[in-house]
Amino acid sequence: MKTIKFIFPLLVMGTLVLASCKKEGCTDPAATNYNDEAKKDDGSCEYAQETGIVTVEMSHVWGMSGAPFTLNAELIHPVTDDTMTYSTFKYYISNFELKSTDGTWWKHPESYFLVDVSVPSSMNLALSGVPEGSYTDIRYTMGVDSLRNVSGAQTGALSTTNGMFWSWSTGYIMVKAEGTSPNAGSGSFSFHLGGFSGVNNIVTTKENTFGATLNVTKTGSPKVLLSANAARMFHSYGTISAGSTVHMPGANAVSLADGFYGGVNFVGIQ
Amino acid sequence: MRAVLANSTLILIMSKLIYFLAGVLLLLSCRKDVIENITPFEFKAPDYFPALQYHFNSNEVTKERFELGKRLFFDGILSSDNTISCASCHAQVHAFADHNVALSSGVEGRLGRRNSPSITNLAWSPSFMWDGGVNHIEIFSVAPITDTNEMNETMQNVIDKLNMDVSYAQQFKNAYGVGEVNDQAMFRALTIYMTMIISDQSKYDKWMRNEISLTTQESTGRLLFEQKCSSCHSGSLQTDYSFRNNGLDSEFTDLGRGRITQDENDDGKFKVPSLRNVLLTYPYMHDGRFLTIRDVLDHYDTGIEQSSTLDPILSNGIPMTEEEKDAIIAFLETLTDYKLLNAHWLNQ
Repeated sequence: MKTIKFIFPLLVMGTLVLASCKKEGCTDPAATNYNDEAKKDDGSCEYAQETGIVTVEMSHVWGMSGAPFTLNAELIHPVTDDTMTYSTFKYYISNFELKSTDGTWWKHPESYFLVDVSVPSSMNLALSGVPEGSYTDIRYTMGVDSLRNVSGAQTGALSTTNGMFWSWSTGYIMVKAEGTSPNAGSGSFSFHLGGFSGVNNIVTTKENTFGATLNVTKTGSPKVLLSANAARMFHSYGTISAGSTVHMPGANAVSLADGFYGGVNFVGIQ
Repeated sequence: MRAVLANSTLILIMSKLIYFLAGVLLLLSCRKDVIENITPFEFKAPDYFPALQYHFNSNEVTKERFELGKRLFFDGILSSDNTISCASCHAQVHAFADHNVALSSGVEGRLGRRNSPSITNLAWSPSFMWDGGVNHIEIFSVAPITDTNEMNETMQNVIDKLNMDVSYAQQFKNAYGVGEVNDQAMFRALTIYMTMIISDQSKYDKWMRNEISLTTQESTGRLLFEQKCSSCHSGSLQTDYSFRNNGLDSEFTDLGRGRITQDENDDGKFKVPSLRNVLLTYPYMHDGRFLTIRDVLDHYDTGIEQSSTLDPILSNGIPMTEEEKDAIIAFLETLTDYKLLNAHWLNQ
């Protein structure tokens, strides 16, 4: 009896001490028990209520006809007639929100995605931790909000290793389109679009109504389909023969970004 | 009976003790597992310095982070051919400016475009670079690392190289609890080291703390400095961190601040630098055009070039007698911090 009294607490506390040493934990920022020090998810994430994952699927087209947009293929611009072969097409999309049927908006706490047309998996934007329920609208930011442009070193999609960051006038390159074209004076074009303040701001919030309800359940895999028309970048900018390099914030970047963002459309839900 | 009682009391006390010790262990074990060997390492700000701009909110100062930042600062691994480190152009013996050259040499001897400034007291700076193009100290290092004339490296390569080095990977883990080196941790470690380069041990600082008095000439120089220089070089760090055209040229080969704001009203403007350790950091101006501090004073006295963005304060120059210049230079000498130059803990 006496020995038990002595050993029991030793066992209990010993187990607790050992258990507490795990590096595993909940790695989902949307969870109530999110542990930013945990390195490996151990499936312990708890949510205020049951949640599911909504995948936003980006597809890319070239022009109003909906022709597929592909890299390393010769494309003729439907309006400017420029012949363009893209080698790179990347852009940021962030700050996803969903509107519930009760009229309230749910905002993902940390949704920054770098869509890279050369990386198919980057076109499926997984929004985790979405509370179960029915949703009617989606809201998102094309680009990276101004706060993140002035908040120092970031990680993930916003890491400088992605090559989407200007060092000389700090801020994110929010759209990067590069390639070759016989219409460009130099034979190549390079558009690095960014700018988050004043008249040079290109960050744009978009909102789409589903026209139906998107049901989110723990086990379901609902999708929101968006389409981006790469050709629309030149909607007001016009032919690249007038200028095939834009590498800084300014009026040209605003025109090109506004054009492209205007061509990001809601297609449907699944 | 008495003995039994004593025995059970002892057991009770012992089991309570075990609970207590286990509780302490429990607390320690969690923390230790994430970040091992955290040791407090303090950032001390003199009370007469201006408001801090970097707050260490997500990046507390620890010895591990400081040591990691220091190692990175002195390591050529950040450059494409592993030859150029931060310290190559920001040398402690020159108050963390370059070795008295107008423009700095990067990889393969490539020349930079502007003079490497002294990088002390950065935690008080609201913007970085001569043109203020960098808005946050944590991402300051991207510019020298990726500039083709400086370190000429990509961020991905730097991170890959650091990850391949076992001792670096371990140091990053100890400092930031990261399983793999990432750029955020690297920038934050460099930030810790750089913000700890505090110059507050000069003669001027001792005078500010009422520990000593200045000589007659230094005092005269200080009063002249207040009258003639402090509308821009204001406060205890001798700068208001504004961007101004100080009349170097009538036409601009380097647009300076205008390149960043894309506003022609900012063309030819550059940041007012802190004058801490100014006598050690020659040559002067963004392009290093003036070799001596006397050249600088002569410029303000008689050399102002007119242009549309010239600071109105300077439209008639700053007239000074040679004697007054001597006194101002004597005062500027009090801003030299010899202790900083010899601070071994900042060196490798």
